[in-house]
Amino acid sequence: MTEYFRNTLSLWQWGLLALVPPAIIALYFLKLRRQPLEVPSTYLWNRSLEDLHVNSLWQQLRQNLLMFLQLVLVGLAIFALLRPGWEGTRLKGDRLIFLIDNSASMAATDVDGASNRLAEAKQLAKGFIDQMDSNLMAMIISFSESPQVVQEFTSNRRLLRERLSGIQPSAHGTDLSSAIKLASGLASPGRGATTESDEAITRAELPPATTYIFSDGRFEDVAGGVTSDYLQPIYVPVGSFDSPNLAITVVSTRTSEERPDERQAFVEVSNFTPQPQRVIVELALDGQFLDAAEADVPVGEAVGTVFPLPVGAVGALTARLKYQLGSDPRDVLAADDIGYAAINDTATGRVLVVTPGNIPLNTALVTERARRLANTEFVPPASLDTAAYRNDSENGTYDLIIYDQCAPVQMPRANTLFIGRLPPTPDWIANSEQPTVEAMVVGPQILDWNRASPLLAHVELGDIVIAESLFVQPPAGGDVLIEATAGPIAAVAPRDSYQDVVLGFEIVGTSADGAPTANTNWPLRQAFPTFWLNALEHLAGHGEVQQANNLRPGRPIELHVPANAQQLSVLTPDGRTIPIERSRQNFVRFSETQQPGVYQVRLGDQVLRRFAVNLFDRTESEIGVKPTQDSDSQTLRPADIRIGEVEIAASSHRTPGRVETWKILLACALSLLVLEWYIYNRRVYL
Amino acid sequence: MPINSTNLLPPELLARLERLELVTRKVFRGRMKGERRSHRKGQSVEFADFRAYAPGDDIRSIDWNLYARLDKLIVKLFLEEEDLHFYILIDDSRSMDFGQPTKLQYAKQLAAALGFVGLARTDRVRIETLSQGLRKHGPVLRGRKSVWRMLELLDAIEPGDSVALADGVKNFCLRNTGRGILVLISDLMDKSSYEAGIRYLVSQRMDVYVIHLLSQEELEPDVKGDLKLVDCEDQDIAEISVSAPLLARYKATLHAFVGGAQEFCSRRGINYLLANNQTPIKELISNYLRRRGLVR
Repeated sequence: MTEYFRNTLSLWQWGLLALVPPAIIALYFLKLRRQPLEVPSTYLWNRSLEDLHVNSLWQQLRQNLLMFLQLVLVGLAIFALLRPGWEGTRLKGDRLIFLIDNSASMAATDVDGASNRLAEAKQLAKGFIDQMDSNLMAMIISFSESPQVVQEFTSNRRLLRERLSGIQPSAHGTDLSSAIKLASGLASPGRGATTESDEAITRAELPPATTYIFSDGRFEDVAGGVTSDYLQPIYVPVGSFDSPNLAITVVSTRTSEERPDERQAFVEVSNFTPQPQRVIVELALDGQFLDAAEADVPVGEAVGTVFPLPVGAVGALTARLKYQLGSDPRDVLAADDIGYAAINDTATGRVLVVTPGNIPLNTALVTERARRLANTEFVPPASLDTAAYRNDSENGTYDLIIYDQCAPVQMPRANTLFIGRLPPTPDWIANSEQPTVEAMVVGPQILDWNRASPLLAHVELGDIVIAESLFVQPPAGGDVLIEATAGPIAAVAPRDSYQDVVLGFEIVGTSADGAPTANTNWPLRQAFPTFWLNALEHLAGHGEVQQANNLRPGRPIELHVPANAQQLSVLTPDGRTIPIERSRQNFVRFSETQQPGVYQVRLGDQVLRRFAVNLFDRTESEIGVKPTQDSDSQTLRPADIRIGEVEIAASSHRTPGRVETWKILLACALSLLVLEWYIYNRRVYL
Repeated sequence: MPINSTNLLPPELLARLERLELVTRKVFRGRMKGERRSHRKGQSVEFADFRAYAPGDDIRSIDWNLYARLDKLIVKLFLEEEDLHFYILIDDSRSMDFGQPTKLQYAKQLAAALGFVGLARTDRVRIETLSQGLRKHGPVLRGRKSVWRMLELLDAIEPGDSVALADGVKNFCLRNTGRGILVLISDLMDKSSYEAGIRYLVSQRMDVYVIHLLSQEELEPDVKGDLKLVDCEDQDIAEISVSAPLLARYKATLHAFVGGAQEFCSRRGINYLLANNQTPIKELISNYLRRRGLVR
């Protein structure tokens, strides 16, 4: 028929139906069969009726309220048979999963009609929930760096809406793959986490769950290993393509190159807007304004700004982006316009050197500058067997232990640097040959060294001659520091939260008769003290600072508990104090780092150290929805996302369906029927 | 002993009635304990007046002392002590046989109570019904000993033939010409108008009380649906479809009917009282009738 009506009956059926209303009217106007009732006298009744007969037509109508109700009822039924409705939207599938991105970039305010992208995504999801039929089940999962089941499968729309509104924006990055894994796991028939599932449904018959991914697409494509067999993903992009944003992507402190006693703050600003931007970077220490600088940031690039820090400055460093009046590019994400760094007391680290005697090393570690970096103690290898050493190494008393021509039985809780020996862990042993004569390289020529490593910064190894060395193949995760003709001869590798550096060659060896011999001419070069200073700086305490400033929200950090402290507390940026019970070990993991800012580790009122939690994620800061050019229409549209091997188009997120109103009409008719029954029984009159 | 005598006169009511007496405004100006004085002069010990002798007077009443002093024949008049005539006229038409209790039953109870009051004060009590024939006098009851007879009499009253109110009252008036108190208990549901009947009473020199007795069903009809109302007396039919406006109209009509009756009566010096068959007799007598001055 028309867009709004559909015929459901044939002509003769309509004809039959058309007879119903006249029939009702006719029945009502037929002489009623009245119930006889004997009364004392009709005297008063007759007189009453005489009065009423004056306006009898209207009376007739009023008395026939029931007839009118029946006519309306039949009218509604006829109208329902016309199937009135209009083209609307309808949800696909019979199980829905809403994956809602609540990563940092979802806080961007580049959407109309909602406060930010997350609100927009929630609004969209709410629209879907509102459209759900009562037999549809849905699950809500929020995801940022890790997914979280907000609501398991349920058909309770009120509960879904309630849980949906509870999703809060986070300061995390985005990891879709774990969310897909979780959703896939929960949707799989074998592990269906359905709370109200019908047991009669054989699990194999479950179709894949329609999964709506509400996101801005700022994540890595999900790797191929992830399957989405039980999911039928639909990507609903939220946000716009060209949302302007500037971000602070690095805040760090370092020692000045020119003046070693001076510390500097380094702030990097990245421009994700389509125009070059001039911004003001403002630096504050513990909330006190410290310095400001202007930075011109070209499109898509990052520009660093260096600020000198006052001598002995300690505290929380905050860098903020400010815009000059009139040049505000309407930065849509405020979360990344601020960066934090913690400046800790540059208390000297404690270094233990276990050596049978090494004059060049000794000389390099007791320079004035080295002493500023670390307190160095020297002990002979024999002390490795003493209880004092074992105690100290297990308690993490030292920041760095240097084993010169010796190796401990067990790795200590400290950074280590081995000279001429391999660490006693299977990783290193398995990767390297035993320090046997066969495995020794005689006269290796240094080919290359890792200039990117902070240990080898400013270290020139070109003219070093080495008599003999071990092969040093680092375990997985490690880096080769020095590559020689025969293979690597120095490497660094992480171990838990520590780093192990191995120099395969001795500096000073011992000849067969016990006399010290020189193994290399390195001590004669400038590179030698530089290397050791680097080592002290990065292994004896400063590495921790570096780590601390790069902590991402939500990531755990290992805190060292001093031997004398029973209970530590952490003061979060929002002023909460979280007590930390010390465990049997001297290290505790602290994982309540959801909020960006500077955290203080306290022992009573004393601040032991600070660490900063920063967003610093270029993927999150580059917030425009990934665009792609449509080949046919030359227009931009949101880029597809890839889950495993499947490309998922940023689709129009709704499927057309007809919104029918006949159910409502019939419900109205039914309620009319109830009303009529009530009127008939309770004698309600106009 | 009538089986349902206690129905008509429950013992607890008797105690209350003992303390009451009938009052009339018309006939008597004063009273003596236990008796009533008539306006008519007559044979009693109580002196009333003197008047000049006229031929035919009983010479026994001449005051010879005055004759001696004044040389005139003066007759001494004495108050005649007369008992009160108390009539109760009960409408026993079929329309009275409705309600719970039926209006007739209620009327009988009321008559029994009032009759008892009269008997207790040695008044002459006569109970009659509207359908009673012209020549058929009801017995006169007097004295406490007649209570049971009265109850038997009342008990025997059954809803009878429908007689127009006017005819019934007219017959009554023809039968009883004396003075006294008349209590008419009726629902006044007379299609040929109750006014004519009441007019007959006006002409009678009686102290008339009309107790307009309606049942709860008449005052607050509880009817539903489409009904064919059949008049129990003349089989007249009224077809109604109960609706709120009809009920409202009925109420208005009833109100007008009651109001009209009340006005009609009070204009003619007749005491009118609307009674509902749900009101307890005790309450009706001790509150309403007492206020109207029938009893005290």
